[in-house]
Amino acid sequence: MATPTPFQSQIYRSLPEIERADAIVDRITKAIALGLLKVGERLPPEAALSDMFGVGGATLREALAELREQGVVETRRGRSGGTFVVKQPRTQADAIREWFLSTSISEIRDIGDEHSAVAAATVRLACERAEAHDVDRLQELARALVLATTPEVRASADSRFHIELAVSAQSPRLANAEIRLQEETVQQLWTPFAVALDPEAATAEHLELVRAVAQDQPEKAQKLVLEHIRRNIFYLIDTKLTLGYAQSNQDGQ
Amino acid sequence: MNPDNEVVHAANALTSWISGVSAEIKELSRNVALLLERNLAGKSKVNKAVLVGLDELSREFLTKNSFAVGAGTFFAAESVEEGGRFLEWCSRKESGAIGRLDFDLTPGSNRYYDYEKLPFFSTAASTGEQTLWGPYIDYLGFEEYILTFAAPFFVHGNFMGVAGCDIRLTDLEPLIMPNLRLIRGDAALINASNRVILGNSGMYLVGERIKSESPNQHRLALDVPYLGLSLIYTTPPQSS
Repeated sequence: MATPTPFQSQIYRSLPEIERADAIVDRITKAIALGLLKVGERLPPEAALSDMFGVGGATLREALAELREQGVVETRRGRSGGTFVVKQPRTQADAIREWFLSTSISEIRDIGDEHSAVAAATVRLACERAEAHDVDRLQELARALVLATTPEVRASADSRFHIELAVSAQSPRLANAEIRLQEETVQQLWTPFAVALDPEAATAEHLELVRAVAQDQPEKAQKLVLEHIRRNIFYLIDTKLTLGYAQSNQDGQ
Repeated sequence: MNPDNEVVHAANALTSWISGVSAEIKELSRNVALLLERNLAGKSKVNKAVLVGLDELSREFLTKNSFAVGAGTFFAAESVEEGGRFLEWCSRKESGAIGRLDFDLTPGSNRYYDYEKLPFFSTAASTGEQTLWGPYIDYLGFEEYILTFAAPFFVHGNFMGVAGCDIRLTDLEPLIMPNLRLIRGDAALINASNRVILGNSGMYLVGERIKSESPNQHRLALDVPYLGLSLIYTTPPQSS
Protein backbone atom coordinates (compact mmCIF):
# COMPACT_ATOMS: atom_id res chain seq x y z
CA MET A 1 0.00 0.00 0.00
CA ALA A 2 1.22 3.50 -0.78
CA THR A 3 2.25 5.68 2.15
CA PRO A 4 -0.94 7.24 3.50
CA THR A 5 -1.39 10.95 3.01
CA PRO A 6 -1.54 13.11 6.18
CA PHE A 7 -5.34 13.10 5.90
CA GLN A 8 -5.45 9.34 5.68
CA SER A 9 -3.09 9.04 8.65
CA GLN A 10 -5.47 11.25 10.58
CA ILE A 11 -8.49 9.08 9.78
CA TYR A 12 -6.60 5.90 10.56
CA ARG A 13 -4.70 7.18 13.62
CA SER A 14 -4.41 4.80 16.57
CA LEU A 15 -7.30 4.70 19.00
CA PRO A 16 -7.36 5.81 22.63
CA GLU A 17 -10.70 4.23 23.54
CA ILE A 18 -11.69 0.86 24.87
CA GLU A 19 -14.70 0.40 22.67
CA ARG A 20 -12.52 0.16 19.66
CA ALA A 21 -14.83 -1.40 17.11
CA ASP A 22 -17.40 1.35 17.72
CA ALA A 23 -14.69 3.97 17.49
CA ILE A 24 -13.57 2.60 14.11
CA VAL A 25 -17.14 2.67 12.80
CA ASP A 26 -17.46 6.23 14.06
CA ARG A 27 -14.15 7.38 12.57
CA ILE A 28 -14.87 5.97 9.13
CA THR A 29 -18.48 7.18 9.10
CA LYS A 30 -17.36 10.71 9.97
CA ALA A 31 -14.57 10.64 7.37
CA ILE A 32 -17.12 9.74 4.70
CA ALA A 33 -19.50 12.44 5.90
CA LEU A 34 -16.69 15.01 5.76
CA GLY A 35 -15.79 13.93 2.23
CA LEU A 36 -12.31 12.76 3.27
CA LEU A 37 -13.29 9.28 2.05
CA LYS A 38 -15.36 9.18 -1.11
CA VAL A 39 -17.97 6.78 -2.44
CA GLY A 40 -16.19 4.21 -4.61
CA GLU A 41 -12.92 4.57 -2.69
CA ARG A 42 -11.23 1.39 -1.49
CA LEU A 43 -10.16 1.18 2.15
CA PRO A 44 -6.64 -0.11 2.82
CA PRO A 45 -6.32 -3.92 3.24
CA GLU A 46 -7.52 -5.37 6.55
CA ALA A 47 -4.00 -6.09 7.81
CA ALA A 48 -2.94 -2.50 7.16
CA LEU A 49 -6.11 -1.18 8.78
CA SER A 50 -5.70 -3.18 11.97
CA ASP A 51 -2.09 -2.11 12.06
CA MET A 52 -2.91 1.59 11.70
CA PHE A 53 -5.81 1.52 14.14
CA GLY A 54 -3.69 -0.56 16.51
CA VAL A 55 -6.39 -3.21 16.97
CA GLY A 56 -6.56 -6.98 16.49
CA GLY A 57 -8.04 -8.57 13.40
CA ALA A 58 -11.20 -9.61 15.24
CA THR A 59 -11.97 -6.04 16.39
CA LEU A 60 -11.41 -4.69 12.89
CA ARG A 61 -13.66 -7.35 11.31
CA GLU A 62 -16.34 -6.52 13.87
CA ALA A 63 -16.17 -2.84 12.84
CA LEU A 64 -16.28 -3.64 9.11
CA ALA A 65 -19.23 -5.98 9.66
CA GLU A 66 -21.09 -3.11 11.37
CA LEU A 67 -20.27 -0.73 8.50
CA ARG A 68 -21.51 -3.38 6.00
CA GLU A 69 -24.64 -3.79 8.08
CA GLN A 70 -25.25 -0.02 7.79
CA GLY A 71 -24.69 -0.31 4.03
CA VAL A 72 -21.84 2.19 4.14
CA VAL A 73 -19.16 -0.21 2.84
CA GLU A 74 -19.17 -3.39 0.80
CA THR A 75 -16.53 -6.10 0.69
CA ARG A 76 -15.79 -7.68 -2.70
CA ARG A 77 -13.74 -10.83 -3.22
CA GLY A 78 -11.11 -11.53 -5.84
CA ARG A 79 -8.10 -9.85 -7.36
CA SER A 80 -9.63 -6.41 -7.52
CA GLY A 81 -11.48 -7.03 -4.27
CA GLY A 82 -11.34 -5.23 -0.95
CA THR A 83 -13.62 -3.07 1.15
CA PHE A 84 -15.21 -0.16 -0.71
CA VAL A 85 -17.18 2.87 0.39
CA VAL A 86 -20.56 2.46 -1.30
CA LYS A 87 -22.82 5.00 0.37
CA GLN A 88 -22.80 8.34 2.16
CA PRO A 89 -24.00 7.64 5.66
CA ARG A 90 -27.31 9.50 6.13
CA THR A 91 -27.10 12.63 8.28
CA GLN A 92 -28.04 11.23 11.59
CA ALA A 93 -30.50 13.86 12.69
CA ASP A 94 -31.41 11.78 15.71
CA ALA A 95 -27.79 11.34 16.71
CA ILE A 96 -27.24 15.09 16.35
CA ARG A 97 -30.35 15.91 18.36
CA GLU A 98 -29.04 13.55 21.02
CA TRP A 99 -25.70 15.40 20.94
CA PHE A 100 -27.49 18.68 21.64
CA LEU A 101 -29.47 17.17 24.50
CA SER A 102 -26.51 15.45 26.13
CA THR A 103 -23.89 18.20 25.69
CA SER A 104 -24.01 21.00 28.24
CA ILE A 105 -23.46 24.69 27.53
CA SER A 106 -20.21 24.59 29.48
CA GLU A 107 -18.97 21.79 27.22
CA ILE A 108 -20.03 23.67 24.08
CA ARG A 109 -18.23 26.76 25.39
CA ASP A 110 -15.15 24.61 26.00
CA ILE A 111 -15.18 23.31 22.40
CA GLY A 112 -15.27 26.96 21.33
CA ASP A 113 -12.36 27.78 23.66
CA GLU A 114 -10.20 25.06 22.13
CA HIS A 115 -11.28 25.90 18.60
CA SER A 116 -10.47 29.60 19.15
CA ALA A 117 -6.97 28.74 20.37
CA VAL A 118 -6.28 26.42 17.46
CA ALA A 119 -7.82 28.69 14.83
CA ALA A 120 -6.10 31.87 16.05
CA ALA A 121 -2.66 30.30 15.81
CA THR A 122 -3.51 28.56 12.55
CA VAL A 123 -4.68 31.65 10.74
CA ARG A 124 -1.66 33.71 11.86
CA LEU A 125 0.63 31.01 10.49
CA ALA A 126 -1.43 30.85 7.31
CA CYS A 127 -0.77 34.58 6.79
CA GLU A 128 2.96 33.89 6.88
CA ARG A 129 3.04 30.63 5.00
CA ALA A 130 0.16 30.37 2.55
CA GLU A 131 1.15 30.34 -1.13
CA ALA A 132 -0.75 32.07 -3.91
CA HIS A 133 -2.24 28.78 -5.07
CA ASP A 134 -3.48 28.09 -1.51
CA VAL A 135 -5.36 31.36 -1.64
CA ASP A 136 -7.02 30.47 -4.96
CA ARG A 137 -7.97 27.08 -3.63
CA LEU A 138 -9.37 28.54 -0.40
CA GLN A 139 -11.52 30.98 -2.36
CA GLU A 140 -12.87 28.13 -4.43
CA LEU A 141 -13.61 26.10 -1.27
CA ALA A 142 -15.30 29.09 0.35
CA ARG A 143 -17.63 29.45 -2.64
CA ALA A 144 -18.46 25.74 -2.56
CA LEU A 145 -20.36 26.37 0.66
CA VAL A 146 -22.82 28.83 -0.85
CA LEU A 147 -23.29 26.58 -3.89
CA ALA A 148 -24.15 23.57 -1.71
CA THR A 149 -27.84 22.72 -1.66
CA THR A 150 -28.16 20.23 1.21
CA PRO A 151 -27.10 20.35 4.87
CA GLU A 152 -24.78 17.37 4.32
CA VAL A 153 -22.91 19.05 1.48
CA ARG A 154 -22.77 22.35 3.41
CA ALA A 155 -21.26 20.59 6.42
CA SER A 156 -18.75 18.92 4.16
CA ALA A 157 -17.85 22.18 2.36
CA ASP A 158 -17.58 24.17 5.60
CA SER A 159 -15.28 21.70 7.29
CA ARG A 160 -13.24 21.26 4.13
CA PHE A 161 -12.59 25.03 4.01
CA HIS A 162 -11.36 25.15 7.60
CA ILE A 163 -9.24 22.03 7.25
CA GLU A 164 -7.57 23.34 4.08
CA LEU A 165 -6.99 26.70 5.78
CA ALA A 166 -5.17 24.78 8.52
CA VAL A 167 -3.27 22.82 5.86
CA SER A 168 -2.06 26.10 4.34
CA ALA A 169 -0.60 27.01 7.76
CA GLN A 170 1.69 23.99 7.28
CA SER A 171 1.50 22.66 10.83
CA PRO A 172 0.45 19.00 10.75
CA ARG A 173 -0.41 19.09 14.45
CA LEU A 174 -2.67 22.12 14.05
CA ALA A 175 -4.25 20.59 10.94
CA ASN A 176 -5.00 17.41 12.91
CA ALA A 177 -6.51 19.45 15.72
CA GLU A 178 -8.70 21.30 13.19
CA ILE A 179 -9.88 18.00 11.66
CA ARG A 180 -10.80 16.67 15.10
CA LEU A 181 -12.71 19.86 15.97
CA GLN A 182 -14.54 19.84 12.63
CA GLU A 183 -15.53 16.21 13.12
CA GLU A 184 -16.94 17.15 16.49
CA THR A 185 -19.23 20.04 15.51
CA VAL A 186 -19.74 20.62 11.79
CA GLN A 187 -22.79 18.36 11.43
CA GLN A 188 -24.41 20.11 14.39
CA LEU A 189 -23.90 23.48 12.71
CA TRP A 190 -25.58 22.62 9.43
CA THR A 191 -28.34 20.22 10.42
CA PRO A 192 -31.32 22.57 10.58
CA PHE A 193 -33.34 22.29 13.79
CA ALA A 194 -34.63 25.61 15.01
CA VAL A 195 -33.19 28.36 12.83
CA ALA A 196 -30.89 27.27 10.00
CA LEU A 197 -27.43 28.78 9.72
CA ASP A 198 -27.11 31.11 6.71
CA PRO A 199 -24.62 29.73 4.15
CA GLU A 200 -24.26 33.11 2.45
CA ALA A 201 -23.16 34.83 5.66
CA ALA A 202 -20.72 32.01 6.44
CA THR A 203 -19.33 32.15 2.90
CA ALA A 204 -18.85 35.91 3.13
CA GLU A 205 -16.94 35.44 6.38
CA HIS A 206 -14.79 32.72 4.82
CA LEU A 207 -13.96 34.93 1.82
CA GLU A 208 -13.08 37.87 4.05
CA LEU A 209 -10.79 35.56 6.00
CA VAL A 210 -9.07 34.42 2.80
CA ARG A 211 -8.55 38.05 1.81
CA ALA A 212 -6.90 38.83 5.14
CA VAL A 213 -4.63 35.78 4.72
CA ALA A 214 -3.79 36.76 1.13
CA GLN A 215 -2.88 40.29 2.25
CA ASP A 216 -0.83 38.96 5.18
CA GLN A 217 -2.88 40.75 7.85
CA PRO A 218 -2.55 38.42 10.87
CA GLU A 219 -4.35 40.73 13.34
CA LYS A 220 -7.35 41.09 11.09
CA ALA A 221 -7.39 37.39 10.15
CA GLN A 222 -7.29 36.36 13.81
CA LYS A 223 -10.08 38.77 14.72
CA LEU A 224 -12.24 37.48 11.87
CA VAL A 225 -11.72 33.81 12.67
CA LEU A 226 -12.43 34.35 16.37
CA GLU A 227 -15.66 36.18 15.54
CA HIS A 228 -16.58 33.40 13.14
CA ILE A 229 -16.10 30.74 15.83
CA ARG A 230 -17.88 32.84 18.44
CA ARG A 231 -20.87 33.17 16.15
CA ASN A 232 -20.91 29.40 15.53
CA ILE A 233 -20.70 28.65 19.26
CA PHE A 234 -23.56 31.08 19.97
CA TYR A 235 -25.56 29.31 17.31
CA LEU A 236 -24.88 25.90 18.89
CA ILE A 237 -25.84 27.23 22.34
CA ASP A 238 -29.04 28.77 20.97
CA THR A 239 -29.95 25.49 19.31
CA LYS A 240 -29.14 23.65 22.53
CA LEU A 241 -31.40 26.00 24.51
CA THR A 242 -34.22 25.63 21.98
CA LEU A 243 -34.03 21.84 21.85
CA GLY A 244 -33.27 21.27 25.52
CA TYR A 245 -35.22 23.94 27.36
CA ALA A 246 -38.02 25.02 25.07
CA GLN A 247 -40.58 24.08 27.69
CA SER A 248 -39.31 26.30 30.49
CA ASN A 249 -40.05 29.62 28.74
CA GLN A 250 -43.65 28.64 28.16
CA ASP A 251 -44.04 27.57 31.78
CA GLY A 252 -43.11 31.07 32.87
CA GLN A 253 -45.75 32.79 30.77
CA MET B 1 -45.60 38.69 33.30
CA ASN B 2 -43.66 41.97 33.44
CA PRO B 3 -39.85 41.87 33.51
CA ASP B 4 -39.57 42.61 37.23
CA ASN B 5 -41.93 39.80 38.14
CA GLU B 6 -40.02 37.38 35.92
CA VAL B 7 -36.77 38.27 37.64
CA VAL B 8 -38.21 38.00 41.14
CA HIS B 9 -39.80 34.69 40.28
CA ALA B 10 -36.50 33.34 38.87
CA ALA B 11 -34.49 34.72 41.81
CA ASN B 12 -36.86 33.04 44.28
CA ALA B 13 -36.65 29.72 42.46
CA LEU B 14 -32.82 29.89 42.37
CA THR B 15 -32.62 30.95 46.02
CA SER B 16 -34.85 28.09 47.02
CA TRP B 17 -32.83 25.48 45.11
CA ILE B 18 -29.44 26.75 46.35
CA SER B 19 -30.69 27.09 49.94
CA GLY B 20 -31.71 23.45 49.68
CA VAL B 21 -28.15 22.46 48.78
CA SER B 22 -26.81 24.68 51.57
CA ALA B 23 -29.09 23.02 54.09
CA GLU B 24 -27.94 19.56 52.96
CA ILE B 25 -24.29 20.57 53.37
CA LYS B 26 -24.97 22.05 56.78
CA GLU B 27 -26.57 18.79 57.84
CA LEU B 28 -23.66 16.78 56.44
CA SER B 29 -21.14 18.86 58.40
CA ARG B 30 -23.28 18.53 61.54
CA ASN B 31 -23.45 14.75 61.13
CA VAL B 32 -19.69 14.59 60.56
CA ALA B 33 -19.10 16.61 63.74
CA LEU B 34 -21.44 14.37 65.77
CA LEU B 35 -19.77 11.20 64.51
CA LEU B 36 -16.29 12.55 65.29
CA GLU B 37 -17.29 13.69 68.73
CA ARG B 38 -18.53 10.14 69.42
CA ASN B 39 -15.50 8.40 67.88
CA LEU B 40 -12.94 10.73 69.45
CA ALA B 41 -14.39 10.05 72.92
CA GLY B 42 -12.42 12.84 74.55
CA LYS B 43 -9.24 12.62 72.45
CA SER B 44 -8.33 15.74 70.52
CA LYS B 45 -6.60 14.39 67.37
CA VAL B 46 -8.06 12.30 64.57
CA ASN B 47 -6.52 8.94 63.68
CA LYS B 48 -7.66 6.18 61.32
CA ALA B 49 -9.93 4.58 63.94
CA VAL B 50 -11.86 7.82 64.38
CA LEU B 51 -12.84 7.78 60.71
CA VAL B 52 -15.00 4.65 61.06
CA GLY B 53 -18.44 5.33 59.62
CA LEU B 54 -17.45 8.55 57.90
CA ASP B 55 -17.61 7.10 54.38
CA GLU B 56 -21.16 5.98 55.13
CA LEU B 57 -22.15 9.64 55.62
CA SER B 58 -20.73 10.52 52.17
CA ARG B 59 -22.54 7.59 50.59
CA GLU B 60 -25.83 8.52 52.24
CA PHE B 61 -25.43 12.10 51.06
CA LEU B 62 -24.81 11.05 47.45
CA THR B 63 -27.65 8.54 47.49
CA LYS B 64 -30.06 11.20 48.70
CA ASN B 65 -28.77 14.10 46.61
CA SER B 66 -28.53 13.09 42.97
CA PHE B 67 -27.32 16.59 41.94
CA ALA B 68 -23.92 15.98 43.59
CA VAL B 69 -21.17 13.96 41.95
CA GLY B 70 -18.93 13.80 45.03
CA ALA B 71 -19.17 14.39 48.76
CA GLY B 72 -17.08 13.97 51.87
CA THR B 73 -14.80 15.40 54.47
CA PHE B 74 -11.38 17.04 54.49
CA PHE B 75 -9.53 17.44 57.80
CA ALA B 76 -7.34 20.32 58.84
CA ALA B 77 -3.75 19.10 59.20
CA GLU B 78 -3.61 20.34 62.81
CA SER B 79 -6.61 18.25 63.84
CA VAL B 80 -4.98 15.03 62.64
CA GLU B 81 -2.42 12.85 64.48
CA GLU B 82 1.12 13.34 63.25
CA GLY B 83 1.93 11.75 59.92
CA GLY B 84 -1.71 11.61 58.89
CA ARG B 85 -3.56 13.98 56.58
CA PHE B 86 -6.93 12.48 56.33
CA LEU B 87 -9.85 12.86 54.11
CA GLU B 88 -12.82 10.77 53.22
CA TRP B 89 -14.31 11.50 49.82
CA CYS B 90 -16.76 9.49 47.75
CA SER B 91 -17.77 10.10 44.17
CA ARG B 92 -20.35 8.81 41.77
CA LYS B 93 -18.83 6.82 38.94
CA GLU B 94 -19.99 6.72 35.33
CA SER B 95 -21.96 3.54 36.10
CA GLY B 96 -23.78 5.28 38.97
CA ALA B 97 -21.90 3.25 41.59
CA ILE B 98 -20.52 5.25 44.51
CA GLY B 99 -16.87 4.67 45.41
CA ARG B 100 -14.01 6.23 47.35
CA LEU B 101 -11.85 8.75 45.56
CA ASP B 102 -8.16 8.78 46.44
CA PHE B 103 -5.89 11.77 46.20
CA ASP B 104 -2.13 12.08 46.37
CA LEU B 105 -1.46 13.63 49.78
CA THR B 106 2.33 13.38 49.74
CA PRO B 107 3.79 16.89 49.95
CA GLY B 108 6.33 17.45 47.20
CA SER B 109 4.98 14.73 44.93
CA ASN B 110 4.05 15.60 41.37
CA ARG B 111 0.36 15.10 41.89
CA TYR B 112 0.16 16.44 45.47
CA TYR B 113 -3.38 17.60 46.20
CA ASP B 114 -2.78 20.41 48.70
CA TYR B 115 -6.43 20.85 49.66
CA GLU B 116 -5.82 23.15 52.62
CA LYS B 117 -4.68 25.81 50.16
CA LEU B 118 -7.75 25.46 47.97
CA PRO B 119 -10.38 28.18 48.42
CA PHE B 120 -13.25 25.82 49.28
CA PHE B 121 -11.19 24.71 52.30
CA SER B 122 -9.27 27.86 53.22
CA THR B 123 -12.29 30.17 53.01
CA ALA B 124 -14.46 27.89 55.13
CA ALA B 125 -11.55 27.59 57.59
CA SER B 126 -10.90 31.33 57.88
CA THR B 127 -14.52 32.54 57.95
CA GLY B 128 -16.05 29.63 59.85
CA GLU B 129 -19.01 29.77 57.47
CA GLN B 130 -20.29 27.97 54.40
CA THR B 131 -18.62 28.66 51.08
CA LEU B 132 -19.30 28.10 47.43
CA TRP B 133 -16.29 27.87 45.16
CA GLY B 134 -16.27 27.62 41.40
CA PRO B 135 -16.73 27.15 38.54
CA TYR B 136 -13.21 25.68 38.57
CA ILE B 137 -11.28 22.72 37.19
CA ASP B 138 -10.39 20.59 40.18
CA TYR B 139 -6.93 19.61 38.93
CA LEU B 140 -5.44 16.64 40.82
CA GLY B 141 -8.75 16.24 42.66
CA PHE B 142 -11.88 15.20 40.80
CA GLU B 143 -10.43 16.80 37.66
CA GLU B 144 -13.67 18.07 36.17
CA TYR B 145 -15.32 21.47 35.79
CA ILE B 146 -17.23 21.77 39.05
CA LEU B 147 -18.69 23.86 41.86
CA THR B 148 -17.85 22.95 45.44
CA PHE B 149 -20.17 23.70 48.37
CA ALA B 150 -18.36 23.38 51.70
CA ALA B 151 -19.08 23.97 55.38
CA PRO B 152 -16.63 23.89 58.30
CA PHE B 153 -17.22 21.57 61.24
CA PHE B 154 -16.19 21.93 64.86
CA VAL B 155 -15.80 19.56 67.80
CA HIS B 156 -16.06 21.26 71.22
CA GLY B 157 -15.62 24.60 69.48
CA ASN B 158 -12.40 23.60 67.68
CA PHE B 159 -12.22 23.81 63.89
CA MET B 160 -11.55 20.29 62.59
CA GLY B 161 -12.08 20.48 58.85
CA VAL B 162 -14.57 20.93 56.08
CA ALA B 163 -17.42 18.81 54.72
CA GLY B 164 -18.81 19.44 51.28
CA CYS B 165 -19.97 18.29 47.91
CA ASP B 166 -19.03 18.74 44.25
CA ILE B 167 -21.53 19.50 41.50
CA ARG B 168 -20.53 19.20 37.85
CA LEU B 169 -21.44 22.28 35.80
CA THR B 170 -22.84 19.82 33.28
CA ASP B 171 -25.19 18.35 35.88
CA LEU B 172 -26.15 21.75 37.30
CA GLU B 173 -27.33 23.13 33.97
CA PRO B 174 -30.54 21.10 33.53
CA LEU B 175 -31.40 21.68 37.20
CA ILE B 176 -31.35 25.47 37.24
CA MET B 177 -31.66 26.46 33.57
CA PRO B 178 -35.48 26.26 33.71
CA ASN B 179 -35.35 28.91 36.47
CA LEU B 180 -33.08 31.19 34.45
CA ARG B 181 -35.24 30.69 31.38
CA LEU B 182 -38.14 32.26 33.24
CA ILE B 183 -36.41 35.52 32.37
CA ARG B 184 -36.90 36.45 28.73
CA GLY B 185 -33.89 38.79 28.47
CA ASP B 186 -30.27 37.75 29.00
CA ALA B 187 -29.66 36.69 32.59
CA ALA B 188 -27.10 34.77 34.61
CA LEU B 189 -26.32 33.40 38.04
CA ILE B 190 -23.08 35.05 39.27
CA ASN B 191 -20.70 33.89 42.01
CA ALA B 192 -19.03 35.95 44.73
CA SER B 193 -16.02 36.68 42.50
CA ASN B 194 -18.29 38.09 39.81
CA ARG B 195 -18.02 35.17 37.41
CA VAL B 196 -20.85 33.42 35.58
CA ILE B 197 -22.05 30.09 36.98
CA LEU B 198 -24.77 29.70 34.37
CA GLY B 199 -26.38 32.04 31.86
CA ASN B 200 -29.65 31.66 29.96
CA SER B 201 -28.12 32.50 26.56
CA GLY B 202 -24.80 32.83 24.76
CA MET B 203 -24.49 36.36 26.19
CA TYR B 204 -23.28 35.18 29.60
CA LEU B 205 -21.10 32.09 29.30
CA VAL B 206 -20.10 29.96 32.26
CA GLY B 207 -16.78 31.03 33.78
CA GLU B 208 -16.68 34.52 32.24
CA ARG B 209 -16.10 37.56 34.44
CA ILE B 210 -18.75 40.25 34.35
CA LYS B 211 -16.72 43.31 33.50
CA SER B 212 -18.66 46.45 32.87
CA GLU B 213 -22.01 47.16 34.34
CA SER B 214 -23.94 48.79 31.55
CA PRO B 215 -26.99 50.89 32.43
CA ASN B 216 -29.21 48.09 31.10
CA GLN B 217 -27.58 45.49 33.30
CA HIS B 218 -29.10 44.97 36.73
CA ARG B 219 -28.08 42.93 39.71
CA LEU B 220 -30.14 41.25 42.39
CA ALA B 221 -28.39 39.61 45.36
CA LEU B 222 -29.72 36.16 46.22
CA ASP B 223 -30.72 35.65 49.80
CA VAL B 224 -28.49 32.67 50.58
CA PRO B 225 -26.18 33.50 53.52
CA TYR B 226 -22.38 33.68 52.96
CA LEU B 227 -22.34 32.44 49.34
CA GLY B 228 -22.26 35.89 47.73
CA LEU B 229 -24.49 34.88 44.81
CA SER B 230 -26.39 37.26 42.61
CA LEU B 231 -28.56 37.27 39.54
CA ILE B 232 -27.77 39.71 36.76
CA TYR B 233 -30.14 40.48 33.93
CA THR B 234 -30.32 42.84 31.01
CA THR B 235 -33.39 44.85 30.16
CA PRO B 236 -33.96 46.31 26.70
CA PRO B 237 -32.87 49.98 26.43
CA GLN B 238 -35.66 52.43 27.28
CA SER B 239 -37.25 53.78 24.15
CA SER B 240 -36.98 57.56 24.09
